[in-house]
Amino acid sequence: MKDVTSRATRRQPEPGRDRRWWGREVARGIYRSAVLTGLLGVTPAVGLAVGFFGSQDTLSWSSKLTAPLAVRGLAAFGEETLALWWVVVAVAATFVLLGRPLSQAARRLAQRWTGAEIEAGYRPVPPLTRLATGFWWNGYAYLKSEGEARRQAGLYSRTRDPQARRDALWLLVASVTVLPVAALSLAGLTGGICVAIMPGFLGWGLIMIAAGLVLSPAGWRVFGIIAPRFLGPDPRSRLDQRVDELESIRADLTQTQSTELERIERGLHDGAQARLVALGLSMGVAEELIDKNPAAAKEVLATARASATVALDELRSLVRGINPPVLAERGVVDAIRALALDAPVDVTVTSSVPARPERPIEAALYFTVAELITNAAKHARASQVTVHLGYDSDTLTAIVTDDGIGGATKARGSGLSGIERRMAALGGRLDMESPSGGPTLITVTVPCVLS
Amino acid sequence: MRVVVAEDLFLLRDGLVRLLQAHGHDVVAAVDTGPAALSALIGEQPDVAIVDVRLPPTFSDEGLQAALAARREVPGLPVLILSQHVEQLYARELLADGQGGIGYQLKDRVLDAGQFLDAVERVAAGGTALDPQVVSKLLGRPSRADPLAVLTERERSVLALMAEGLSNTAIASRLYLSEGAISKYTTTIFAKLGLAPGEDTNRRVRAVLAYLDAGHDSP
Repeated sequence: MKDVTSRATRRQPEPGRDRRWWGREVARGIYRSAVLTGLLGVTPAVGLAVGFFGSQDTLSWSSKLTAPLAVRGLAAFGEETLALWWVVVAVAATFVLLGRPLSQAARRLAQRWTGAEIEAGYRPVPPLTRLATGFWWNGYAYLKSEGEARRQAGLYSRTRDPQARRDALWLLVASVTVLPVAALSLAGLTGGICVAIMPGFLGWGLIMIAAGLVLSPAGWRVFGIIAPRFLGPDPRSRLDQRVDELESIRADLTQTQSTELERIERGLHDGAQARLVALGLSMGVAEELIDKNPAAAKEVLATARASATVALDELRSLVRGINPPVLAERGVVDAIRALALDAPVDVTVTSSVPARPERPIEAALYFTVAELITNAAKHARASQVTVHLGYDSDTLTAIVTDDGIGGATKARGSGLSGIERRMAALGGRLDMESPSGGPTLITVTVPCVLS
Repeated sequence: MRVVVAEDLFLLRDGLVRLLQAHGHDVVAAVDTGPAALSALIGEQPDVAIVDVRLPPTFSDEGLQAALAARREVPGLPVLILSQHVEQLYARELLADGQGGIGYQLKDRVLDAGQFLDAVERVAAGGTALDPQVVSKLLGRPSRADPLAVLTERERSVLALMAEGLSNTAIASRLYLSEGAISKYTTTIFAKLGLAPGEDTNRRVRAVLAYLDAGHDSP
C-alpha cells in the first residue's frame, strides 16, 4: 500500500511535497550564498573599510584649510591618492595572509557542492641549503642570514608561486562575479526586512524579500561555473609536476644503469676474466711439461679446454642478460617467440607488428614481457599464457594474459611497479586486471613510430 | 669433401679452414658476409657448408637466412650452422623442411676437433647434428599434451641422442649399452611415433621432427 502511494507521488508530485522541495532549495541557497559572501567578502571588506576610514582620516587633514578652491582640490586629490595606496597595501597584506586558506576553502566547497575535484599545484617551500660560500640558497635568492632566507622563502612561496598568483586572479574575478550575485539575494532579504519594519513601506519590503527568496536558489550557482576555471592548477605548475616526474624517472634510470654496469663488471671479473687467468696458467704449466712429461701436459691441456668452455658458457649467459641474441638478430617478436619456447609454461605468441621498433623500445618491451611470463609461471601458477603484440596509431601494445590465480598488485616495490616505472621512462604505461582467483590480463603500451 | 666456410671472424675462419684441410677436406670457398655465403652455397653446391648465424653487413641472422634460402634453392644442401648461442626457434626453422643434412652447434664445439669433424661428416651424409644444449632445451619442456609421453625414460634419452645426430654405435657407447639394444630401442621409438619403415637416416630425421612438433605447435 505504502509502495503504491510513493509511486503515485513520484508520478504526480503533491503540492505539499513540491513546496517542501522549494523550501529546501531556498534554505540551501541562502546558506551557500551566505558562506560565499563571507568567504569572498573578506578581501573587499578590508579594502572598503581601509578606503572609507582612510579617506575620512586623510580628508580631515585639509578640511580646515582656508585656501583657493584649486589648492583645496589638489590637497584632497593627494589625500585620496594616499588613501588609495593604503587600500592597495591592505588588500595585498590580506591576500598574503589569507589568500591560500581562502582559495583552499573555495576548492573544498566546490568539491562538496558541485563534485568538481579541483587540485591545486602549490609548489612546496624550497628547502634551505647552505652553500660552500656560506650563503643560504632558498630556491629564490642567495642570502647571508639563515633566518632571513627562511622568511623570504615563506613570503615568496605565498606571492611568487604561480598557483598563488592564480589564486589572486581567482579572488579578483570572484569578487566581481560570484560575490555580487551571492550577496544580492542576501541583500534582498535583509534589506527587505529592514524596509518592511519601517512604517508605510511594508509592501516594498515584502517585494524585496520575495525577490531575495526567488533569487537565492540560483544565487550561489555562478560559483560552480567560475570556480573550475580559475581555481585549477596553473599550467606552469603542471609543467613543474611533469619536471618532477621526469627527474625521478631520470634518477631511476641512472640508478638502474649503474647497478646494471656493476652486475656486468662483476660477471666479467669473477667469471670470464678469472677463467682466462686460469687458462693462461694451465698453458704455462703445459708448456713446461710438454717435453718432460707429455702425458701430464695433455691432461693439463684437457682441463684448460674445459675451463675455456665454462668461460664461454658464462659469457653467453651474461650476454643473454644484456642483449638477448635473438632480440639483436631478429627483433622483439621473434625474441619473444624464442622466449616462449624456453618458458616453463605453455606460451602462445601472436603478433601484428609490421616492422622492428627502435632498439631501446624493443629491449624494454622484451624484458617486460619476459618478466610478465616469469610472473605468470611463478606467482600466478598459470599453465597457459598468451602474448599478443600489436601496433596501432603509433602505439606498440603487448597484452599478456594467463589462467593463473590472479591477485597481482602494482604495490610499491613489486615487480609490476618496476615495470611501470621503466615503461614510464619511455612514455608508456601498464594497465592491469587481476581479480583474486584470476585470470590476469596485463596491457603494456608504449608510444613508438615504426618506419 | 668440398666445403664452404662462412664466418666473419678471421681467426675462427682461418682455424676452421686449417682444421678441415688438415683432415683432407677441400675448402672451395671461405667467405665473410651473408650475400657472399649465399652465392657460394648456390654456386659451389658443396658437400657441406659451415655457416655462422651472425654475419656482416647487418650482423643480424644473415648467415641463417642465407642457409635457409640456399636450401630452398637446393633442397637438402647440407649445412652446419655455428653460433655463439643456440635457440629452439632457429633449430625448428632449420629442421622444418624435413630434408635432413642439418647441423646446429655452438661455436665452443670447435674446441673439440674430433667431435666437430664428426658432426661435419654426419651432416654431409644427410644426418642431423644438433648441439646437446638445443636438444636439452627441446626436451626440457614439460607439456600437457605430450605425444612423447608414450616413450619410456630410456627411449627418451635414446631419442635425444638421435636428435643430436649420433649413430646407433655412438649412442650405444654413450649409454653403455649394446648396439643391439639400441637398435631395439630405435625400432620401438619409430613404432610408437607411428613412423613407417623406410630409409634409416631419413626415419631418424623424421623421429627428431616428430619430437620437435611434440606438445606444442611451432610458432
